[in-house]
Amino acid sequence: MAEAIQRKLQSELEKYQQMQKDVNKSMSARQKLEAQLTENNIVKEELDLLDSQNTVYKLIGPVLVKQELDEAKATVTKRLEYINGEIQRHETLLKDLERKSEQHREILASLQQEYQRAQGIPAGKV
Amino acid sequence: MAERVKTSGVERLTEENRKVMKDCNDQLMHWKKVEKDYESLQERLITLPDKLSYDVMVPFGPLAFSPGKLVHTNEVMVLLGDNWFAKCSAKQAEALVAHRQKLVKKKLDDLHKVMKSFRDKAEFTADLEKITDTAGDFVDIREVLSKDEEVTKGKPRVAHKPNSKPKEEYVLQLKEEQWEGEGGASQGGVLSETELWARLDELERLEEEQDERDRLDSTDTNGEDTTSSSSEEEKETETGSAVEVNGHRQCEDMSPASYAGRVNGVTGLALDGQDKDEEYEDEEEFSSLPTIYFSHTTEPKKVRINTGKNTTLKFSERKEQKDAKRKKKSVKCNGHTLHEHHKITTPADIYRVFVDVVNGEPVPRKSILKSRSRENSVCSDTSESSTADFEERRALYGHEEGAHSAASNGVTEDGRHAAISLYPNGRVEAFSGTVVEKDPLPVLIPHLTITPPALPTIPERKQEEVGSETPQEVPKRVSKFKAARLQQK
Repeated sequence: MAEAIQRKLQSELEKYQQMQKDVNKSMSARQKLEAQLTENNIVKEELDLLDSQNTVYKLIGPVLVKQELDEAKATVTKRLEYINGEIQRHETLLKDLERKSEQHREILASLQQEYQRAQGIPAGKV
Repeated sequence: MAERVKTSGVERLTEENRKVMKDCNDQLMHWKKVEKDYESLQERLITLPDKLSYDVMVPFGPLAFSPGKLVHTNEVMVLLGDNWFAKCSAKQAEALVAHRQKLVKKKLDDLHKVMKSFRDKAEFTADLEKITDTAGDFVDIREVLSKDEEVTKGKPRVAHKPNSKPKEEYVLQLKEEQWEGEGGASQGGVLSETELWARLDELERLEEEQDERDRLDSTDTNGEDTTSSSSEEEKETETGSAVEVNGHRQCEDMSPASYAGRVNGVTGLALDGQDKDEEYEDEEEFSSLPTIYFSHTTEPKKVRINTGKNTTLKFSERKEQKDAKRKKKSVKCNGHTLHEHHKITTPADIYRVFVDVVNGEPVPRKSILKSRSRENSVCSDTSESSTADFEERRALYGHEEGAHSAASNGVTEDGRHAAISLYPNGRVEAFSGTVVEKDPLPVLIPHLTITPPALPTIPERKQEEVGSETPQEVPKRVSKFKAARLQQK
């Protein structure tokens, strides 16, 4: 009885750990996205400061590619929107994962109690 | 232990605070460095276009330098972020740098704010620790409430003492009626645990009084019953009530009610006392709606019963009065009180039960024996007083009944009936005392007094008292002297 519970506990624990990892991944991705968001915001603002006389380059790999200012602005804006969308997506994902992990936690707690009880009984017997 | 726990918690809190503050500090340092860099960059950008070209040692890899020239000093490639570059003039670059500096400054300010908040938090936790460690100015105020006490305090008892089922038929009938009435009343009333507890207390008190009366001298079976019933209540044993029932039967008609209540258990308890009160009240107040002020008296055993005219029942009337006042003034079976006192375990108890309430004091029926000899003993009441009492009771009976009907107090009626039934038993009135009620108020109280076997003085006995007594006791023979006395009243 105790062993069965223990096994169940183990499996549940693993599942919960997996959940937690997903949560963490999602969390870190979101953080990265947030950093990019701020960066792109700065780029946008600085592009606004420039005028068309300046040439704008985009670094694609080892190559600096000349870009138009307007084009650059548009690109940056689009990128900003994309990043925002990604952040939203990650947020919902995170929430979902949190909920699931909570459920798992509860299951784990109950299993643990059972296990303790089962352990307690044999211990008492002993 | 709690303190220790608290301290550990506080420690942990301080630890966390410290960690956060450390992080904050690191970030702060980082951003300060960035700010400084930007400042120097700004400076450089300003000075760069001063010359057309600069002679510099250009680093070739990590290990070599090569002399070179820095040209186009005004053209600066600025990294805008996210792999975006812009060729700008030095001035434009400077503008960009200034813009960035603004951002950095903003970040620094935020960090400072966070630092400050956490510093305050740390201070508070330190204070908390100090508080928990020492008494300090902060004191944890606790008030331990004993629920029971609070609950029972001043609350009328609802439960009746557990009555043993009355043995006599009339008693049975009455009991049922009373019980039902009582039950209804009690249930209609505040039948709550607290009330039951209060009632139990009252009953106990009454029982004590009853015991005392028995001890001293009691021809009042009522009192006896009461005490016995009280004690029974305390024990909440129905078996004992059987004995009481006997006594009750003889003494009070309320007993059935009380017994009934007893049978009920808690509810019965309340009912009993109430019944008794009711009965007495009814007897006393014919015109008004019978209200029973039931109050358990916690009289110390100082009941002193004189057989004879000057019988004084010293049990705490006041307490009874108090209890009576406390108790609801609902018309309830007085059986309770009766029962309390009707714990008849010995023949002597019987006499204790038959107590006339005089002035709120149960007056033991006067016995023919000398008072001295009769003290602490219960004798049958063959004296005039007892006859008088009996007659009184009879009279009261009628009153009671009338009042009862008026009051529509089933319980009381039951009590009355019981009283009537009791009387017809031809029980000799052991209690020669007369219950005299000087005031209407005390009359109510006397319910309790009557019920407890306290031996009241044998003063005039009021009708109500008699009435109440009658239900309690079996119809007693009232001596002519007693009757005279009663008439005087």
